[in-house]
Amino acid sequence: MPPTPALSHDAPAAGGVPGAPAAPAAGPFPLAERLERHLGDPAGTAGPFTYADAVRLDEESLFPAAICADLDEFGLARHYVPAEHGGDLARYDEALQMTRAVARRDLTVAIGHGKTYLGAVSVWVSGDAAQAAALGATIISGVPVSWGLTERDHGSDLLAGEMTATATEDGYRVTGEKWLINNATRGQVLCALVRTRPEGGARGFSLLLIDKSTLPEGTVTCLPKVATLGIRGADISGLRLAGAPVPSGALVGREGGGIETVLKGLQLTRTLCAALSLGAADHALRLAAGFADDRHLYGRRLADLPYAAHTLGELLADHLLGEALALVAARSIHTLTGEMTALSACVKYLVPTLTETLVARARKLLGARSLLLDLGVGGRFEKLERDNRIVSLFDGNTVVNLHALINQFPGLARAWRDGPQAPLEAPPEGLRVACDLSAPLPRFEPGRLSLVTRRGLSVLRALPHAAHELDTLARATPALRPVADLAARFTAAADVVHAAMARQEQSRMDVPPGAYELAGRFTLCVAGAAAVALWLGNRETWTEGLWRDGAWLHAALTRAMDGLGEPVPGDEPPFPELAGWLLEQARTGRPVSLVPGEAVPS
Amino acid sequence: MRSTATVAGAPAATLEELLGDPYDAGNPCGHAAVLAADERREPLAAAERVLDGWRLNAEFVPVALGGRLDRVQDLITRLRPVFRRDPALGLGYGVTSFMAAANVWLAGNDLQRRRVADLLLRGERLSVAYHELAHGNDLMRNELAARPDGDRFVVSGRKEVINNASRAAGAVLFARTGDRPGRTHSLMLVETGSLPADRWEVLPRFRTGGMRGCLISGFAFDDCPVPATGLLGGLGEGPETALRSFQVSRCVTAGLGLGAVDAALACVLRFARGRHLYGRTVADIPHARDVLAGVFADLLAADCLVTTVARSLHLLPVHASRYAAAVKYLVPLLLEDAMRSLGVVLGARGYLREGEHAIFSKLTRDLPVLGIGHAGGTACQLTILPQLPGVARAAHSSAEAPAAVFRRGDPVPPLDLGALRMMGHGDDPLIGSLLAAADDRTSPDLRELAGIFRADLFDLARKIAALPPAERGVQASAPAFRLTERYALLLAASACLNTRRHHDGDPFLGGDDWLRAALSRLAVRLARANTSRPHSPEAHGRDMTAPLFTELLRRADAGLGFCADVEPVSRPLS
Repeated sequence: MPPTPALSHDAPAAGGVPGAPAAPAAGPFPLAERLERHLGDPAGTAGPFTYADAVRLDEESLFPAAICADLDEFGLARHYVPAEHGGDLARYDEALQMTRAVARRDLTVAIGHGKTYLGAVSVWVSGDAAQAAALGATIISGVPVSWGLTERDHGSDLLAGEMTATATEDGYRVTGEKWLINNATRGQVLCALVRTRPEGGARGFSLLLIDKSTLPEGTVTCLPKVATLGIRGADISGLRLAGAPVPSGALVGREGGGIETVLKGLQLTRTLCAALSLGAADHALRLAAGFADDRHLYGRRLADLPYAAHTLGELLADHLLGEALALVAARSIHTLTGEMTALSACVKYLVPTLTETLVARARKLLGARSLLLDLGVGGRFEKLERDNRIVSLFDGNTVVNLHALINQFPGLARAWRDGPQAPLEAPPEGLRVACDLSAPLPRFEPGRLSLVTRRGLSVLRALPHAAHELDTLARATPALRPVADLAARFTAAADVVHAAMARQEQSRMDVPPGAYELAGRFTLCVAGAAAVALWLGNRETWTEGLWRDGAWLHAALTRAMDGLGEPVPGDEPPFPELAGWLLEQARTGRPVSLVPGEAVPS
Repeated sequence: MRSTATVAGAPAATLEELLGDPYDAGNPCGHAAVLAADERREPLAAAERVLDGWRLNAEFVPVALGGRLDRVQDLITRLRPVFRRDPALGLGYGVTSFMAAANVWLAGNDLQRRRVADLLLRGERLSVAYHELAHGNDLMRNELAARPDGDRFVVSGRKEVINNASRAAGAVLFARTGDRPGRTHSLMLVETGSLPADRWEVLPRFRTGGMRGCLISGFAFDDCPVPATGLLGGLGEGPETALRSFQVSRCVTAGLGLGAVDAALACVLRFARGRHLYGRTVADIPHARDVLAGVFADLLAADCLVTTVARSLHLLPVHASRYAAAVKYLVPLLLEDAMRSLGVVLGARGYLREGEHAIFSKLTRDLPVLGIGHAGGTACQLTILPQLPGVARAAHSSAEAPAAVFRRGDPVPPLDLGALRMMGHGDDPLIGSLLAAADDRTSPDLRELAGIFRADLFDLARKIAALPPAERGVQASAPAFRLTERYALLLAASACLNTRRHHDGDPFLGGDDWLRAALSRLAVRLARANTSRPHSPEAHGRDMTAPLFTELLRRADAGLGFCADVEPVSRPLS
């Protein structure tokens, strides 16, 4: 089908629609756009960052050192350091988009380079000012930092960790092993979770910022690189310490506060992990769209076969649903900080899971091409699928995140029950700012991170109000009627999910399997609510293309309803038109994103 | 329950025994060796020698021609140990030889059949040469041309992504032989050793992400003379032959994937029993047990469908076209989802290419190749679409399949490939059997579960009746495609219900536990495929899989595999 004018960003721009290739970046993420321009065209042969290099390095299991050096030269590491500690990190939504710009080119690089943020996050959350300033300077100077949480025999069971720090006169002596650690060998600094009370327990662990270069010979051994399914070039290895002397100044936060700091830091990193999935989906969708555009089968262009177009539209809708959740969550770090414990778990479960399914469906569309390494885009696709699988495994896997939500069911269900009783109550300011991409974000205050979400999630509490607002808009603009009706149905579906959550028995040990499924459904409620809020928050900024008549929202909510098992009567969402838009974005190199942006060759 | 109809020449030892303990690091056919060969992108020579010694190729040759091919279901189960060990070994050694030979068994004359039988029984390989990169599953646009010229054809063009092209004694070639509408393509047997060396060549290898050890390349012909005696069947009969032989190869390919998931399930169960998290083993965590038992249930459902379709090739040949398409569509989906669920339990260990569980990530890469190879899911859905009216009619008829279709141990008449039809004829008997079995269950919960499928069938029949002809071809819409998914799920439900129904007295298949688990999971899928009605996983109850977990542990401890036929495996007990 021809590109549908209704969804093209080329449509006459009312109210200064971004998307025209005007020179200065006008979008909400100027730094990410600057990074995109710096990284340039990965399909070409020039420049340090090409698809061809990424695939070759993966084949040879080599670390993408030259590409990372270029990112250092650009100053990407400055964006891992909060502004108050001397860096450039001021907006987590922008950090998300920057990592995504790298990830859509190559996940090995995004993970291998971005890991430094994970290594440092404990210090940003709990470190003192001097420690943070010093670490900031170290990172900006180009030193990779890694995060040592997991051990060979304990995986995600952090409380079973055996690496032990024994107090000495001027610090600690550390013995034990950390394994499957990203950058354990290349990183000079390791932020390690260590046992500081022999009996362990929630207060029995602490974090130490260990500088390997200061350790005496014989006390530290880097373990061999581990061969992995994807990101084969990454430095996934481990570290063994044998009586390593660590000064007392290495302690991050207070002694015994390690687990709490980690749980707070994970709220940030789990949210940012969405950038990796979104980047992989960007890449997969471009490849699928390009293939459907060129491929002829049964005498027709693949993209013109209704089923293929529908599939592409659905894949895009899944991507946009995940993107909406990730954007709202990343901005919520600043404005709804206390809600991140639940919100980050939703993001870390849903976005990687949606993306895995999306990539698998795209693979089927590509058919044999997806598996042939030497033909066209085959090597790129095959690599990105392998790479992408790690995102749902690290930094808290699927089970861990769903379990975190199950533990919060009573509070989340109570908040929902109390929320909709006042459907006309305006959303809180924090949510309004989180959902309006043109609103300036306040500074993130780590002190507001919390281990429990006391009043549920604002984005869900605001859903009835938002559905009502859509209904009001639809009275004036009949084209919005289908999406307004859908939002009302979606609100009712969310009610069903919350009722089931309220009924769920709480059991620390024997969580029934059905609770995990229910938690997964809850994340779809959050994502759909985020999509509604995001559309409402920006509908005056962007009025064309995907934004016109709520096209993307209609499609994304339909997919969320499908995931919830709820029927969607009425008009089919404009999946074929969405597919037409996707093909056009892929042809012109514009972003596969809700956020209109300028063309970047790809 | 295995057929006792073994044929002269069948080896005494099973392949499972010969391939040995996969977890023994010193076993030249164990996981460590399999993984090392995969890293090198080479076939595993030691294992190929074992298959040579076992005369695996005899499984591809009909009994009447001196081989061991009798029931299609036995071909699948006898190859299961190979696919349990290494899917790349199975595909790479030569399942494609069978795919090629099936065309010869079907359309070849006595001389051609004899030649191919001898060639295979000597241990040589045949390539199956349909694929051209530019056309994928769109056979009728294949360009490789064979121009009739007296007592020979002159062949020009390329066949790409062809397994074993570099080491096969010959190939079955799908070629354009004329312009007569409907008669444009033919199949021919080409023995490459006798061709002029300067007129053809083997293409460079195509490297793949999964099945890395397979030697996949292709052929290029340049005005190459080929004896006309190689023509299989009549000129222009290529598509008819292909669409029949595909029915067998689709069923077999789908069934072979079960071995890989059986191995993956064993791998993750081993992990779960050995790994301690939060003060107990992973196998003690209810969620993990649910996943493991659920995968077991899906494996059993897939096996029921595969075996029912394999038996239908013999017993219901006029209907087999849509059955083969349904099994090749649905089973790879079930298996891929199973791998994804298992991966959640295995966690980071499932991402490693080294260590005790490394085989899992290899299986993850290999399985999709089997799913795409030889017609992907969409091509299969396109086969089903025009045949849906026969499904709708069956919803209102009492035509039932004979019980022998479901009695796994019963003998079947010899495979008559000529009796297969390109399109199913008449009311769909397996669908008729679904209704009969649904009425037959006595326990209330099974009646209720079966009722879900019965109700869906009537809804499906209404939607099929309302489907305009334009919606039954490549221009079909997404909702029309979803009907084929529901059809495949109903077929699987029928296979499960009727397998149970016709195995009273069987210690495992005669019980209700596995049926309950398999059906409840198929019902969840069915609800997802039918977007016009609400569904909630809670509606189907939660503890359907618990008794199956006990059976899973029992089999693991007794050294038995996880498919429907209970068979010994060589893996260590825990």
